[in-house]
Amino acid sequence: MNRRTFLKIAGMTSITFAAGCTSNPESRLFSPVEAPDDMVPGEANWYASTCRECPAGCGIIAKNREGRVVKVEGNPLHPINAGKLCMRGQAALQGIYNPDRIKTPLLKEKAQLRPISFSQAEALLHEKASQAVHKGRNKIYMLTEVVGESLYTLFTESLQRWNSPPPLVFEPYAYEALKTANEKILGIEGLPAYHMDKADVLVSLGADFLETWLSPVEYARKFKAMHALNRGRKGFFCHISAYQSLTGANADLWLSCKPGTEAHVAMGLVHQAITSGRGKNLPESLLSTIKQVSLPFTKEAVVLASGISAENFDRTATRLTTAKKPLIVGPGSACGNALQTNMAVNLLNLIFDPQLMLFDFKGRHRVETAARRSQVLAFFERLNQEPVDLLLLNNTNPVFSMPWESTVIEALKQKRLFVVSFSSFMDETTALADLVIPTRLPLETWDEYSGRRGMVSTLQPAMGHLTGAPGIGDVFLRSDGAKKPDNYTEYLYRHLAEKRRLENTKARIQAIQQGGIFNQNHRTPSFQPPEIEPSLLHEAFDNLSLPSTSELTFMAVPSIRFFDGRGANRPWLCEVPDPLTKIAWQTPVLMHPQTMKTKGLAQEDIVEIQSENGRLNAPVYETEWVHPGSLVMAIGQGHQDYGRYAASMGTNPMGLLPLETESVSGGPLCSTSTVSVRATGRTVKLAHTDGSRIQHGRKIALSVSLDELEHEKSHEKHGLTMEDFPFTLPLPQGYDPQRDFYPPHDHDTYRWGMAVDLDKCIGCGACAAACYAENNIGVVGVERIVQGREMAWLRVERYQDPERGEKITFLPMMCQHCDNAPCESVCPVYAPHHSKEGLNNQIYNRCIGTRFCSQNCPYKVRRFNWFDWEWPDPLNLQLNPNVTVRSKGVMEKCSFCIQRIKHAHGVAKNEKRMIEDGDVVPACAQTCPTDAIVFGNLMDPKSRVRKQASNPRAYQVMGYLNTKPAVIYLKKVIQEI
Amino acid sequence: MNELTFAKIDQTVLDTLKPPDRSYWLTVGILFAGALAGAACWIYQILTGIGVAGMNNPVGWGTYLINFVFWVGIAHSGTLISAILHLLRAGWRNPIARAAETMTVFAVCIAGLFPFIHLGRVWLVFYMLPIPNQRNLWQNFQSPLMFDVVAISTYLTVSSLFWYTGMLPDLAIVRDRATGIRKKIFTVISLGWTGAHEQWRHYARGYLFFAALATPLVISVHSVVSWDFALAVVPGWHTTIFAPYFVAGAIHSGLAMVLTLMIPIRKLFHYEEIITVKVLESVAKTIIFTGLIVGFAYGTEFFIAWYSQNPVEMAIFKYRPTGDFALGFWIMVVCNTIIPLLFFFKKIRTTIPWLFGISICVNIGMWYERFVIIITSVSRDFIPHAWGLYSPTMIEFGIMLGAFCLFFFFFLLFVKHLPSVSMTEMKETVEQGAGHGD
Repeated sequence: MNRRTFLKIAGMTSITFAAGCTSNPESRLFSPVEAPDDMVPGEANWYASTCRECPAGCGIIAKNREGRVVKVEGNPLHPINAGKLCMRGQAALQGIYNPDRIKTPLLKEKAQLRPISFSQAEALLHEKASQAVHKGRNKIYMLTEVVGESLYTLFTESLQRWNSPPPLVFEPYAYEALKTANEKILGIEGLPAYHMDKADVLVSLGADFLETWLSPVEYARKFKAMHALNRGRKGFFCHISAYQSLTGANADLWLSCKPGTEAHVAMGLVHQAITSGRGKNLPESLLSTIKQVSLPFTKEAVVLASGISAENFDRTATRLTTAKKPLIVGPGSACGNALQTNMAVNLLNLIFDPQLMLFDFKGRHRVETAARRSQVLAFFERLNQEPVDLLLLNNTNPVFSMPWESTVIEALKQKRLFVVSFSSFMDETTALADLVIPTRLPLETWDEYSGRRGMVSTLQPAMGHLTGAPGIGDVFLRSDGAKKPDNYTEYLYRHLAEKRRLENTKARIQAIQQGGIFNQNHRTPSFQPPEIEPSLLHEAFDNLSLPSTSELTFMAVPSIRFFDGRGANRPWLCEVPDPLTKIAWQTPVLMHPQTMKTKGLAQEDIVEIQSENGRLNAPVYETEWVHPGSLVMAIGQGHQDYGRYAASMGTNPMGLLPLETESVSGGPLCSTSTVSVRATGRTVKLAHTDGSRIQHGRKIALSVSLDELEHEKSHEKHGLTMEDFPFTLPLPQGYDPQRDFYPPHDHDTYRWGMAVDLDKCIGCGACAAACYAENNIGVVGVERIVQGREMAWLRVERYQDPERGEKITFLPMMCQHCDNAPCESVCPVYAPHHSKEGLNNQIYNRCIGTRFCSQNCPYKVRRFNWFDWEWPDPLNLQLNPNVTVRSKGVMEKCSFCIQRIKHAHGVAKNEKRMIEDGDVVPACAQTCPTDAIVFGNLMDPKSRVRKQASNPRAYQVMGYLNTKPAVIYLKKVIQEI
Repeated sequence: MNELTFAKIDQTVLDTLKPPDRSYWLTVGILFAGALAGAACWIYQILTGIGVAGMNNPVGWGTYLINFVFWVGIAHSGTLISAILHLLRAGWRNPIARAAETMTVFAVCIAGLFPFIHLGRVWLVFYMLPIPNQRNLWQNFQSPLMFDVVAISTYLTVSSLFWYTGMLPDLAIVRDRATGIRKKIFTVISLGWTGAHEQWRHYARGYLFFAALATPLVISVHSVVSWDFALAVVPGWHTTIFAPYFVAGAIHSGLAMVLTLMIPIRKLFHYEEIITVKVLESVAKTIIFTGLIVGFAYGTEFFIAWYSQNPVEMAIFKYRPTGDFALGFWIMVVCNTIIPLLFFFKKIRTTIPWLFGISICVNIGMWYERFVIIITSVSRDFIPHAWGLYSPTMIEFGIMLGAFCLFFFFFLLFVKHLPSVSMTEMKETVEQGAGHGD
């Protein structure tokens, strides 16, 4: 080889090496040649809209970065949610970016769905509609989810033009019992809202208002307004139900009653209230009727019927009868005597306040427009009997939400009936449709949906369209062939102008920009108790049925994560564990230890539950949160279809329930007593994220009683043990040469810290979901959660009392950004790095994956990337461009949303000022419905977080390790009942 | 022992270097295949992610670090035997010193592999080297893992040099009787050793100094490894007893491994007259001693946990014998402290099958000791909500198997290609009974 050849080869080799050694470059990079006017790369645009993940209708603002929505947050101006969102709202993004979203219309041919174009689909729809219209009247039926007034009017007009009845609104949770009771007792058929925040004593008879009931974010906020510690006092909340639920877990007192005896307890309370002399302001005749009706419901009778302890009943009754502004709320769904329960609840409210000042009759909940279950059943009966040609379904899934052996499937399968489903997802109902037309999702459309009366809440597209799908309004405007505005936006504007007095463009733009019109002042009409027929009360309560004496009762309960099942295809909702069971991805059946003992079952055993309506298999979860003899399952999973995240995950409890409805209210029955349980001999590993349910005497999630708190004025302590280690701020004053070998850190102007008020935390997990959304956290799936590999940066730890398992304390746990961080000293390459502002930064590029930091972290908040996590196309479009997507082999953890801190730095610098308190709000604190999390600068003596540090309730988790954590917890306050 | 002459020593040792038969190569081939299988597992892990192993949150360290500590422990007794016992003039070391040193060198190599296998991003391992760089990064010398880098690499360097130095005169003996290509190779690696008086004088001094230098390393290397744990805050790790406890444990396991290796070699290579039962008995006696130290350390840990009255510490030590990993704990206790006590019986410590069986038990027990320490502590540390269990996967077993195969592969190549008993040192002491102590 001569010199030249050698150089050639050497050159070639080095070029090959240099070219070959790149780290997966983007194969295609595009920059917009002409950017839209309002788009500045790197700057987010926020669009106000309305959340449509449940009928509550919270206001949202959607963050658009470079043309994609990357985060939704609550709209601070919105009266319903005041800037907060639940985890379902956070996961709305995974609807638009869902990889299993239907992109083109599908036509069923020979039992196969074949993609067709949108114009073909609309032409077909038009053709079918005109054929049907030619045949005669009432040939077209429609079933829709709860929609805004404009859209509902449009549907009605179109159907009218087709000589057909108006659409029926189907919601699985339609509050039939509540509506009927309101009609019977208050003379209002509807769902008034409640000024829960103004009550001093709150009693809920199975109303899970922190999870799904009416408007959970709103009521979570209002509940904590009355229940959180305020000037040394706090409101009292008692929950009475057979299944504790998250709501009951937040109660001062949970009365575990036999399923179906809530009405007895409520009537017992009526009896106690009357005998204690309340209700004097009621009309004499009504009072005497109530007295008469409630006479049999003595304490002894109630205790016997319901199985609650006499002591606890007394306590509740005493609290209630001595309260100044008590509020009692009743269940939405029809478990047992739900109608009677709600009637008794209304009587109670009338007894305590005949004016019903805590009711908001003007701002009624829009979900009241939903039809009763009996009407829905009748609708499907008619489909079976009458020669209907065309059935239109708008984003509803009755097949999943109603018991299996229903007439629904039969109706949908009829040959002569052409079923059109407007749905973006292949759910169980859509799978039976003849034509599937995907429509734009709420984050992509102009619309209006007001969750409460007396306000307007608007929707606007927060981004361009991912698919070519038209809005459903546009489809209707085009296909009914009438001369109207040819697009729905115009129609919406006209409607708003007519009905809501939005005369000019300016008002319209203003409304759209702030997400609606909220300042419509209205005075609540003063309430006059209506005349109540004595026979009505006698009829309801004289023969109040006792729950069946059968040993077991099966109950299907709404899920905070999946609502009625529509959330089951959102990976975040599957991955963030259930607040109570801490189980992700699975649907266990909850059983009381006593029940399990008698049945010889152990946790994780798969049991077969059989009712007269069907049977299902589910793993057992042992818990004291259910009344002995109750089998409780959450609704939401067990889809046959509905995309990769939902299909064959968990179980659908609907299969065990009867199809019949409650005779008076027409509500569905979500419990059944004719069940038997049999062990299958198989077991399954439950994907729970908790290692232990109790604290083992360690000082982690602390609480203090109200009485103790009065004497406790400071948290000063001097010692070195778990009990008496002093509170050590992550600031120079937290250092003591007696304890500390190293000098304090020099922080530069800012030292970020967080305060978490455990008294306000309801454990709902919205923070965890927001964290997933903000920080591009990987979704690992069920097997890996079983292996202990969940990636959540923020977890809500749930600790039960070792003696009384139903007593629960929640503790949101995230990186504590210790001043004396155990993780920092053990990394050989300085990947955990203590910043000038006190942040414990994890530098992904430096990390080589020794995992020593995680081993040494006492809080175990560090998460290792065991694999490269997948964001199946187009879920990756949701990724926050301000946050690195981590690759395999790297450690990660909560960063205190450093990207938001950096953004605040930029803004402050532009405005030539310091960052002020409240400028930086991490995603968790932003979305917390009860404002339990406060973030700020500990070096600023005026900041809220710093003030919390001197709160006598303040403590640090495992502060005795001298880690000097920057997360300050405030003890939960417990009332001695 | 009268019949042991210089010529016989030479003959017995050099006989081992005769061209091996097919069964030898077959065994070597199988071991090599096993090592390749382990390598394949590792490659798969690099491509897929550490998740193919069983670790999780909270148990972020698994069999890779267990094996690391295990092999570092094995690597201990070689230098102990050749250096410390040399300084102490314990004659019984001579017949087994060479093999023990070889075991040390290979075990350090195997041990050194495991931190690499353990890393999440092994391709960036050079971040741990204090080399001038443009990344503006410097290493954190506060981190026990940086101590490890220094300690292990120093130990490897010194023990290899010590091994090679001690082998020089023997290499020359082989050279003198070799022919052909063998002669050429041994000429080069014996570095011109002629056996001149001057050479012997320097050699003897040099070897002594080496022994003196290597002695602190015996103590330091496993002390440093123990600090990987002791310097962490984790309950069950954060204790001052760890350094002596680990050193004693390491010697315990190393001696057991010496027995495990020596007994088959003695049989195969007809070393019965060189490695006498007396020698093995001495090793067994030392194992009683180290076993008692280890047992004492176990007891001390429990006592201190109780004495501290720290609930977290107490919970861990209650969890070990009774919790999810209780089986591992009891294997550890029985194999490391109870079974070696059988060596108190002369009959047992002079019977080859017993010696071999008990040495295997101690090896297993010492592996489980590392398992108990590494897994149980983090599995249930401070925050009960985050507790979790751990079980190794097939990939981890594959890599573990590969490591054992690789070790025995090297060792098997060594015994047939280099003198596995130090002829020089045997001859030095042949007058005193060739190191057999009488």
